[in-house]
Amino acid sequence: MARTRVERQPATSSSLLLVLVGLGIAFLLFMAFLNVVKSGNLFTEANLLYAALIFYGGAGALYLGFGVTGTERYVRYASLATWAGLLANTAAVAHRWYVAGHPPFASVYEMLLSFVWTLAALTLVAEKKYGVKVIGTVTMPVAIVGVVLMQLLRTEVHPLVPALQSTWLHVHVSLAMLAYAACALSFALALMFLIQDKMQTETFLAATSLAVTAGYLGILTRFEPWGGLSVAAWDAAGKQDMFLSRGVRLFVTIPDLGWLVGLVAVAVATPFMCYLLAGWRNDERFFAIANRAVFVGLLAQILALAAFLARANGSYQSPDADGLFPTNLAASPFILSGLVGGIFISLLYLLLLWRRADLERLLPSADALDQITYKTIGIAFPLLTLMIAAGAYWANRTWGAYWSWDPKETWAAITWLVYAGYLHMRITRGWRGRRAAYFAILGFAVVMFTFFGVTYLLPGLHAYA
Amino acid sequence: MAGPTRSIGRRIWQTLSAVRTGIILLILVVIASAAGTFILQRPTTDADALQRAYSPQMLAWLDRIGLTDVFHAWWFALLMGLLCLTIVAASIERFPNVWRFYARPYRRADSHFRSALPLQKQFPVRDPEQALAVAHRVFQKLRLRPQHIVEDNQVSLYAERNRFSLLAVYIVHASLLLIFLGGIVDALWGYRGFLALTNGQQASQIQLQSGATRVLPFAIRCDGAGQENYSDGTPKRWWSNLVVLQNGREAERKQIVVNDPLVFGGIRVYQSSYGSSGQLDKVMLTATPARGSGAAQDISLGQDQRAQLDPQTSVRLVRFIPDFVIQDNQIYARSNQPDNPAIQLEVTTQKAKEPALVWIFPQFPNVAHDSKSPYSFKFRDLRMGYFTGLQVSHEPGQWLVWAGCLMMALGLATAFYLVHMRFWAMLVRDERGRPALWIGGACNKNRPAFEQRLHRLLEEVQTELKQESPARASSREASLASV
Repeated sequence: MARTRVERQPATSSSLLLVLVGLGIAFLLFMAFLNVVKSGNLFTEANLLYAALIFYGGAGALYLGFGVTGTERYVRYASLATWAGLLANTAAVAHRWYVAGHPPFASVYEMLLSFVWTLAALTLVAEKKYGVKVIGTVTMPVAIVGVVLMQLLRTEVHPLVPALQSTWLHVHVSLAMLAYAACALSFALALMFLIQDKMQTETFLAATSLAVTAGYLGILTRFEPWGGLSVAAWDAAGKQDMFLSRGVRLFVTIPDLGWLVGLVAVAVATPFMCYLLAGWRNDERFFAIANRAVFVGLLAQILALAAFLARANGSYQSPDADGLFPTNLAASPFILSGLVGGIFISLLYLLLLWRRADLERLLPSADALDQITYKTIGIAFPLLTLMIAAGAYWANRTWGAYWSWDPKETWAAITWLVYAGYLHMRITRGWRGRRAAYFAILGFAVVMFTFFGVTYLLPGLHAYA
Repeated sequence: MAGPTRSIGRRIWQTLSAVRTGIILLILVVIASAAGTFILQRPTTDADALQRAYSPQMLAWLDRIGLTDVFHAWWFALLMGLLCLTIVAASIERFPNVWRFYARPYRRADSHFRSALPLQKQFPVRDPEQALAVAHRVFQKLRLRPQHIVEDNQVSLYAERNRFSLLAVYIVHASLLLIFLGGIVDALWGYRGFLALTNGQQASQIQLQSGATRVLPFAIRCDGAGQENYSDGTPKRWWSNLVVLQNGREAERKQIVVNDPLVFGGIRVYQSSYGSSGQLDKVMLTATPARGSGAAQDISLGQDQRAQLDPQTSVRLVRFIPDFVIQDNQIYARSNQPDNPAIQLEVTTQKAKEPALVWIFPQFPNVAHDSKSPYSFKFRDLRMGYFTGLQVSHEPGQWLVWAGCLMMALGLATAFYLVHMRFWAMLVRDERGRPALWIGGACNKNRPAFEQRLHRLLEEVQTELKQESPARASSREASLASV
């Protein structure tokens, strides 16, 4: 069997991945079907999500194959798989909506469900309407991580607390999802613009290395004396964080993981150091070393992820209380997304390093990308405005104040101001190309901080998501 | 001469109206706002938490600079004021140009303009008059309203769409100022406070956030409040029946829930919280005669309420403790939650001079009753009194804010999605001096879509001209024949 496959490979090299992915999807669906037959219930949310995961996984593999080999045929089947995944995802959203009786925006789980749906839909739009075929290489892995994260979160339908029972909430959140999705799209387009604008691969090397290092330094803020890594304790039965007292989370220390993360941080920072050295010594050879260091860093990151996955489920001691307390992967979604995100960024860089010529051939021209980026922000900005206005109106109906300088509100306003700055620079000062692209990237970074950073780092009224 | 002062004034004006100034102010506002989210803020964080978070010297400095209350600091207000000024100045500086463009549209394309316009086409024609009529027809067919422009004894066509989109930027900027104005009005004349009412209570004084109190121009009475729960025990709905009393008369009545406030005289009353007051509303008991064979009867008592058990005997509730503990032979209340209540009754009979005192502990039903009482009491149920927490706010500027939001939405939609498009058609001579129909178009955004539209127009003109010319030719032949 293995021999025949090896023999056939040269002749049907472009079909091999298709066949493998097709077989994989069929096999997984069959296994799922057996499971369903045993439990006798086909259309549950978990099953639908599982189906979506399988199809997104297949689509991701094919898009990645397209990104690496540039075989056009993969894209056709990849978008077919994306369609199938989107269908299952839509059914899951609809099921959720029907069971909960409100649009799925009320918890982190429901937000992720809607986010993945939006992402898949936008991928298809970008591919069909704008011809940005390679975009699935970026969005599909994100969708897969989203669906996997959902398995770790509380899934039961929560009734809405009184403050959330408002039509304006749904208006506000739908607008936020659309606006943020448009911002994400403008970010991806700005990156592609930089590729088409002949930005040097070395600059991407420095930027990706710096981004990954920043992620690891963020994780290292949880470093404990004697090399441990502090993570939140997790109550497996209640599927929630454990609390020492009201509002004070209980943290446990996983021994030795801190050292490992520190070492990996050094490994992922090495390419950036080499980049600086190359600039300082004016020596091209350092770039070659840097590229090798990226590869080593990638392996180190995979090691760190494996170690974290292996050790995150267990009971450990806490510095604040006596005894052993359990923790779980679900208790540290940010560390997990940091680790996975780092690997993903490094992979994207390697894709660029090895397949730059193919990417340049496949992407639209720099001018077109610049225009589309601007258009996307032209859609995002009014949506952001309406989102803030709807949120203010809702707050006024609920708390009697339309604006109270809550961190979430303030950061929404900052996001708005950043994009307002972009529009002014572009329209009145004629900023095009690189500078506009950098601005679009900055805007999306602020959006990400508003969405995640504020929720988890800064306290406030906006405690829902 | 007032030369130097004028130049200083002009320099300030130029600085204010420069986009660069606006952007710098924007960046400063962003930095200040971000600082306001990272540094703990005064009114929302309590003093203890601030003292725990920062060292005394640090806190003193932060307070002095106003960083512990960024959004109410004078320099933040100054920044916002300057930002408003730059918006106004930049708008005034640029408005005359835009207005000229708007008020006097460029209707006739002269030769310079024609040579510079990127989107244009020329069709050779035989009969110029007829060609212009064709252009007119096609313009109308594509739902453009062509105007006949007569200049230098020559007729040309001009059509445009969405000219007012040129002014959209001003609508957006004006709406931003309107929103700021609303905020200023509320900061000066608005207020926000809290009021807690128990069932039946009425009040007109609210506690402001600053700690001061304020008397409302009317009183509010609570005629009942409650909470409904989901099956898992989380709150589903809080409601309060409120009555507005003005000069002692009932002026308005409404049941408010979260997200649906009562509005009276520009003042809004919101349902904000709900909780146990520790006061008893009613306790339900069964009284059975201790001796003899009287029937058992159900009674319900509020605090200090009396119920007649038989013509000679009555009972009164004298004490209620929601959550009791016994220490040193005394009964104390531990909390306001009715977890372990203690109820004391006073039974008065005409025969006995001294009333009998009876303690009831529902959690300990086996504790012996006072034998002096002619009745024994059995606990059935109790209802606690609740308070409803009301948020009261007066925001006279909010309508400006909503108007501003609406205006901004319209302005942005116009600015981004409505394209000012212009079309010109006129008769010219080509380089060899033969008559030609010249058609040109211009747009201010979304050029690809506009190019398609113009292309359609040009194709229509081409086909119409082709249909026209054989007909013309034949009619000319006919006219020649007639001659």
